[in-house]
Amino acid sequence: MPMSLTKRIDDLSSRRDIRSGWFGIITLFFLAFIILPTVYVLIFGIMDFQNLSNMVLDDPEVMSLVWGAVFTSFSLALIVTIIDLIVGIPMAWIMVRKQFRGKKLLDTLIDMPLAFPTAALGFSIGIFWGLPVEAPVPPGALGIVASPYILIMLLHIIFTYPYMVRSLSAILEQIDQSYEEAGMTLGASRMTAARTITLPLFRAGLITGFILCFARSLSETGGTFIALITVGQADKFFTGPTLIAALKNDLVLGTTDVEAVLAVVSIILIITAIIFLLIIKFVLGRVGVPFDKVWPRWERVLSRGAVPKAKDVVSFVWLFAIVIIPSFFIFAYLLVPSPADMDWSGLLDALAYSFMVAGVVTLADIVLGVPLALYIARHKDKKLAQAVDSLVNIPLIVPTTALGFSLALFWTTQGLVTNLTVLVIMAHIAFTYPLVVRNVAGAVMEVDPSYEEAARTLGAKPFATFRTVLFPIVRSAVLAGAILAFTRSLGETGATVAVSPDANTVPVYIIGLMNTGDYYLAAVSAMVLIMVSFVFMFGLRYVIRREGGTY
Amino acid sequence: MTVVELKGLSKRYGKTIAADGMDLRVEEGEYICILGPTGAGKTTALKMIAGLIDPDSGKILFDGKDYTRVEPEAREAALLSQVYSLFPHLDVNGNVIYGPRIRGWEFQQAQDIVDNMLEMVHLNRRKDALPRELSGGMQQRTALARALASGSKVILLDEPLRALDARLRIELRREIRSLVKALGITAIHVTHDQEEAMVIADRVAVMRYGKVVQVGTPKEVFDTPVSPFVANFVGQSNFFKGRLVSNGDYTVVENDMGINVKARPCQLPVGSEVIVAIKVGNTQLRTEEGFFLGRVERILYEGVTIHIDVMANGKLFSAKLPNRKYEEFSPGDEVVVGWSPDEATVFPMPEQGLEEELRLE
Repeated sequence: MPMSLTKRIDDLSSRRDIRSGWFGIITLFFLAFIILPTVYVLIFGIMDFQNLSNMVLDDPEVMSLVWGAVFTSFSLALIVTIIDLIVGIPMAWIMVRKQFRGKKLLDTLIDMPLAFPTAALGFSIGIFWGLPVEAPVPPGALGIVASPYILIMLLHIIFTYPYMVRSLSAILEQIDQSYEEAGMTLGASRMTAARTITLPLFRAGLITGFILCFARSLSETGGTFIALITVGQADKFFTGPTLIAALKNDLVLGTTDVEAVLAVVSIILIITAIIFLLIIKFVLGRVGVPFDKVWPRWERVLSRGAVPKAKDVVSFVWLFAIVIIPSFFIFAYLLVPSPADMDWSGLLDALAYSFMVAGVVTLADIVLGVPLALYIARHKDKKLAQAVDSLVNIPLIVPTTALGFSLALFWTTQGLVTNLTVLVIMAHIAFTYPLVVRNVAGAVMEVDPSYEEAARTLGAKPFATFRTVLFPIVRSAVLAGAILAFTRSLGETGATVAVSPDANTVPVYIIGLMNTGDYYLAAVSAMVLIMVSFVFMFGLRYVIRREGGTY
Repeated sequence: MTVVELKGLSKRYGKTIAADGMDLRVEEGEYICILGPTGAGKTTALKMIAGLIDPDSGKILFDGKDYTRVEPEAREAALLSQVYSLFPHLDVNGNVIYGPRIRGWEFQQAQDIVDNMLEMVHLNRRKDALPRELSGGMQQRTALARALASGSKVILLDEPLRALDARLRIELRREIRSLVKALGITAIHVTHDQEEAMVIADRVAVMRYGKVVQVGTPKEVFDTPVSPFVANFVGQSNFFKGRLVSNGDYTVVENDMGINVKARPCQLPVGSEVIVAIKVGNTQLRTEEGFFLGRVERILYEGVTIHIDVMANGKLFSAKLPNRKYEEFSPGDEVVVGWSPDEATVFPMPEQGLEEELRLE
């Protein structure tokens, strides 16, 4: 009888010792199953330092490869983020401060890259901009970018763009326009007012956008790897994560101890990612931008006439020419004649496997993530909750390939888990868990605790309070977190490959097809993956639109 | 229905002391108001009674039983917060039936109670409305109905009228009191508005720095305050510092202007430093027969009353008079300030000085 079960949980939740025990278990799960495996490779590196040093650190040829890849990753992430910032600010401005027809459509278009699994995106970019070696090229491809560095930069700009625009517009929406208007009545030109009043206020949005873009670019594997395969550079040009993928696919360093090199790359990526992001947070939070200097004449000129119009036009052109058209170019494959013998069974198997993994992962994220989110949001005065709140971000900033490798190393060296599928699921939980926790914790923090307090004094036990009051209010945030986790798991390449290139998810299947030259089937698989993701993303938008802003 | 007792209740947040050995006894079916300035610890006290905040030390007794560590849902003490906290996803009926439903009452019985309650707060026609579709006053009534329908024996009201405009506030405080009284529930109502406390409560507990400084009927706390703070917080007062000259049928105090003034008899020794307080409403301005001369500084027409500031020996005094006296005074007039001695109270000089004693925050 389901009634008696909820009633039993209600009764249990009324006991303080059981409540603290439950939160203890959830926190323990988080530390032991998410955080520890994510950074385990660091401990491994310390314990096994001598061996790593002999095998890898003392080998100048290997080390130059490793450092080169890591440097490429960081310089790429930095350039991509700065470009996003430059094109993102005017776009965020348009989205928040302007009213025009077709704004909803534009809103959807900006989120488009989020719905594209990066593996599919990498393929699309490779054939649109790049010079593919073997892949058949559909009509309309530009084929003008020979440098793999610029190709990857164009790819990363696409999938980081929505993060930047969204972070900036979220904060901009919170800043009342009356500040700017007040500035203008006091004699500032439009641009001076925006620059000296609004920009300093949304420093928080800048930092969030910066960190999200930077971390995403640093971490991305699948799209980058596939784009490089398309143009035949996967065994010559590396970012940190694609070096791991290349090693796992036996594309480089055939003779050396691959595991040791993987460990070194993972360690360097994790440490540098954490340090670099701390620095960004620290530097951007402290360093003042010279907001108080004004150049009235120049800024007045820039505020008038054709300049603002030109800025808006550039924003739109960028969105379409750099973001939207190259993303959708893969659908041009529909114009390419299909080979006679098409074997769909491999794709169907991969799809079934991907769905199974993503489903289990999402379920685990909800069941284990919502309690942790509640703990973080409702115990903000407790030291432990604050610590957990910061730790939750770690899997978000650690590149997923390094995370996957570290996690697999943790569970297999102890001999605790050897089943491949279980390992893949655990790796996917590790990097999607923070998405659910962040979303739900954010939503719960917005809810006035007095609702729950009122319910308690009216006679509701803690779990009943959650069921009948808090959950209905934050339901859409839970759903949003679930769909986000599901699509991220569906599109993830890096973590899966790092656990094992034999795990048959759709992105890994696509990489396999490309390595064997089955480009047409790879393109079809990518399109199917895009469609599936679209269905979920639009489902998400529908849910949020319908529920959002009701209360 | 329930006697609520607080014994030595203390609660600290870091360096802030929210409750500092708070004692209070609320009788069965009594309507008590906890009155105090912002930051006195009123809301913390209420949440400790509700079980939402654990006290650091001290005890909370319900009908003599120790309830200090009892979970909120088991206390049968419903909290009505100043933001109402109506559940946004439930309509009026859903909100009001929440308590009976969560306690597992039989459906028809619960619905009957809710219907009855909604009728009492005049909301039976808005049963299907969502909270955001209601006006402030209706939201307030829904929250009240929800708290009363939950079968609680104690109702805790945290500034329930704060968000409403003045007219509605006066109307609703009458309604709240009569409803609570009709059901015989013990009520603890927190407010910083002394007028609200005076008209709604059976007894008023004046609170400051986490302590109850005086409990009594509205008349007691108004007429016989225990400290200069209470004298000033419950109806504004004029103060003199001075030295006690003699005790007899009335007390004579030589104030800091060197003038002897008279007040109610007290037990303080002759020669001690004292404070004399007279409510502004009891301060009279005459043409003769008073204690000292002053000059009218300004006159404010407040409606039913007029407020007059008088300057005497470099100090400002205030008086509240009926509005028919408006024509009798104009700025610059010389007047005699006086009062009947049994309306002036003598207090020993507070250790920290008068200014500190009167501070509101």
